[in-house]
Amino acid sequence: MIANVASATVLGVTGQPVTVEVHVGSGLPGFQMVGLPDVACREARDRVRAAFLCSELVWPSARRITVNLAPSGVKKSGAGLDLAIAVGMLVANEVVDPECILGMVFIGEVGLDGSLRALPGVAPMVACRPDLIAVVPTGSWHEAAVVRTDEVRCASSLREVVHALTGGRWPERPLEPILDLRVPPPDLADVRGQVLARKGLEIAAAGGHHFLLVGPPGSGKTMLARRLIGLLPPLDAATSLEATMVHSAAGVRRGQFGVVTDPPFEAPHHSSSMVSLIGGGSQQLRPGLISLAHGGVLFLDELGEFSPTVLDALRQPLEEGSIHVARANISAVLPARFLLAAATNPCPCGGGAPGACECDDTARMRYLRRLSGPLLDRFDLRIGVQRTEVDDLIAVGGGEPTVIVRERVLVARERAIARCGLLNGALRPGLLDQFAPVDAGGTALLRHELENGRLTGRGLHRVRKVARTIADLDGDHDVVGAQHIALALQLRVRLRASTRRDAA
Amino acid sequence: MSAALAPQAYAAALAGFDRMSVQRLGVLLRNHRPEHAYAIAVGDEPPPATSVIRHLFDADATIPVAWRASARARSPEAVWQRCCELGLEVTVIGDPAHPLLCANDPLPAPVLFSKGDRSLLGGRRVAMVGTRNATGAGRHVARTFGRQLAEAGVHVVSGLARGIDGHAHRGVLEVPVSEQCGRPVAVVASGLDVIYPREHRDLWGQVGDHGLLLSEHPPGSAPLAYRFPLRNRLVASLSEMVIVVESRERGGSLITANAAAERGVPVMAVPGHVANRAALGTNELLRDGAAPALDVGDILTALHLDHTRSATVLCDSRVLPRPDDESVYAVCAEQPRTIGDVAQACNQPLLDVAMSLARLEQAGWLAQTAGWFEIVGSPPRWH
Repeated sequence: MIANVASATVLGVTGQPVTVEVHVGSGLPGFQMVGLPDVACREARDRVRAAFLCSELVWPSARRITVNLAPSGVKKSGAGLDLAIAVGMLVANEVVDPECILGMVFIGEVGLDGSLRALPGVAPMVACRPDLIAVVPTGSWHEAAVVRTDEVRCASSLREVVHALTGGRWPERPLEPILDLRVPPPDLADVRGQVLARKGLEIAAAGGHHFLLVGPPGSGKTMLARRLIGLLPPLDAATSLEATMVHSAAGVRRGQFGVVTDPPFEAPHHSSSMVSLIGGGSQQLRPGLISLAHGGVLFLDELGEFSPTVLDALRQPLEEGSIHVARANISAVLPARFLLAAATNPCPCGGGAPGACECDDTARMRYLRRLSGPLLDRFDLRIGVQRTEVDDLIAVGGGEPTVIVRERVLVARERAIARCGLLNGALRPGLLDQFAPVDAGGTALLRHELENGRLTGRGLHRVRKVARTIADLDGDHDVVGAQHIALALQLRVRLRASTRRDAA
Repeated sequence: MSAALAPQAYAAALAGFDRMSVQRLGVLLRNHRPEHAYAIAVGDEPPPATSVIRHLFDADATIPVAWRASARARSPEAVWQRCCELGLEVTVIGDPAHPLLCANDPLPAPVLFSKGDRSLLGGRRVAMVGTRNATGAGRHVARTFGRQLAEAGVHVVSGLARGIDGHAHRGVLEVPVSEQCGRPVAVVASGLDVIYPREHRDLWGQVGDHGLLLSEHPPGSAPLAYRFPLRNRLVASLSEMVIVVESRERGGSLITANAAAERGVPVMAVPGHVANRAALGTNELLRDGAAPALDVGDILTALHLDHTRSATVLCDSRVLPRPDDESVYAVCAEQPRTIGDVAQACNQPLLDVAMSLARLEQAGWLAQTAGWFEIVGSPPRWH
């Protein structure tokens, strides 16, 4: 007997339809699997056989079993084809009528006891068979349901699948959780002092501006960056789907049941390799951390310690919002639209007030040279952070809580979207004159900075974008005012060593 | 040995020997003519029986070996040719051309390499020194004093180091060249063709063109750490007065101040805020009895130079700050502040504070370094 069962595998973050063909016939007894399975996939034989025996199903041990995974030229990875192979065996053994599995796709890993286990990549696999009813393990139901709510069936064991395919009912979908088990993001109220940096975070969240925190060790750069998440709105449906797909494919569970609705926060260590950040791998294309940060924040602490090649690799995703990873036999476009936050010390000793720093100009230059110039150019905001004064640390009560700041952020985001359909961080220089006109006072300030060589042409655009966001946060201003420009200039710490000009 | 070679060539070569020190070179050159001293040093002639050099050779046999090796590595002809290429003048202790100030010093400079106008050492000279890692306010003071001293016809001696030293000379060079104006005099710790720090290449050239560059070391000598204190003693001995603008607790400029005190050269210090680490050394000098230099008038008075205080000092061309910026200025005047500090201290919204700071910076009342605001010059006279 021969059986055809629809299933899928994952390539990068996209699903790839696979048809599992099972042939049970006469010949030398044995089990053959063909069609480029990887090791985990090949071991399905032992799992499915044990599951059959534990589920009191008949395993045709005296016959020759051949399983083909079509298309045969594509590598299949993971244990997601187990369920389809098991169902194929059931059909080939005439336990299940072939008619019953028409229009269905089976995805799931089978345990030795016949249970069905959740597995990574369910969301993209379900998404690639849009016309079929998906059967997935109960543990993966929520992930699959992000793609299609109605046409997903779940089961927790092989027996339940057999029961449903032989005329019984499919098990109920799992209950929605009553408790929200997600940990709320850290609150801005915990931050003492740091007037400028708080404002900087608010602006970054409101305008989607990439930002760099510059300050001595212990000044709270990491603490501040982690609080950005709470200021961002929940992901929109499309981004949530993309993010869930990426997380599903990477096997990273975030949010409830693997459904990503809140902006993710990724903070890779500075020793991270390029592949771990960008994505790749020789066997299987695994999404990198920048794709896991899709829709959220990628935070690079100690920016100067990252390898320059890793940092330069971030430039394409920052431009395009996606990363094209190609390997010898696979290539994939992974989503990677994130807000880049980074932190660095201003100099080897950590800096401080003028006169407190121990480093001379050369040491400072050498330190800053490690930060790639083109990457530094992408930061709209360069926020100076100083150690909090003792008085502020001791003082009772924190600053404004996240809830209040977030209100302002959401209003400003709406204003920007209503004006030009984009966040201000994404405004192209050509659009600035139309959407971010500057009043006379502001122009005079910009002119002063440009004439003194403290602002470059590229910096000018960044300052204007940031000033636009500041104006949006300040109220309903059509024209960007001088005070908005003045603050935007303050949020652009000069990273070069002190120059002769500073004196006069 | 070529007979045509000038005697200074031998002194120049001796100055570049390994394990040569100012003291040893002094003994050689004060007691012998340069070519004779060279012959003794390289072993062509035995040192006189009573000479300190003989004792030195007896005490440490490695010294004559090192000296002979240095002589083989670089001949007097080669050194002399390099000096001529660079247009350097070489004077040896005992020459009439050798500056008396150096010859009469407790630790005299036996050989001096110079480029520029040596007659400047006959004029009024004030040394201005300070930390390499100066605050914006310190750099401003150095530059202003440098300019005003030059306008008053006083030459400014300094070490061409980063920070205060460099800014003092830049101030001097801002004054248009004339017969009466003061000029820069720089004493450096390397050979005159080894520019250190490298970012001072332009300044180095300008000082050589319009002032005087001095070194005790032949061309090609590296700026080794031990040479800096020696350089500092020369700065002190060549000056009538030493002004320390900003110095840390243990800075090179304090070595200059000590050297000045040993030589009876008066020391003046520019007071700084007690919390400013870049001013700890200068404030310490004030406690030890150095005279405060609050403006250039104090220095000129100490030099007994005629001047009218109001004409040079009290002319401030900056536009007076607006009344609503006064509180922001006052907060920054206490100590350097970040915009966040100012907003908290004045209890004003960030946007307003940013605007005030921008206006004050634009008008020149405040200077910003890496996000810190400090006041520049004297406070405005509001009323």
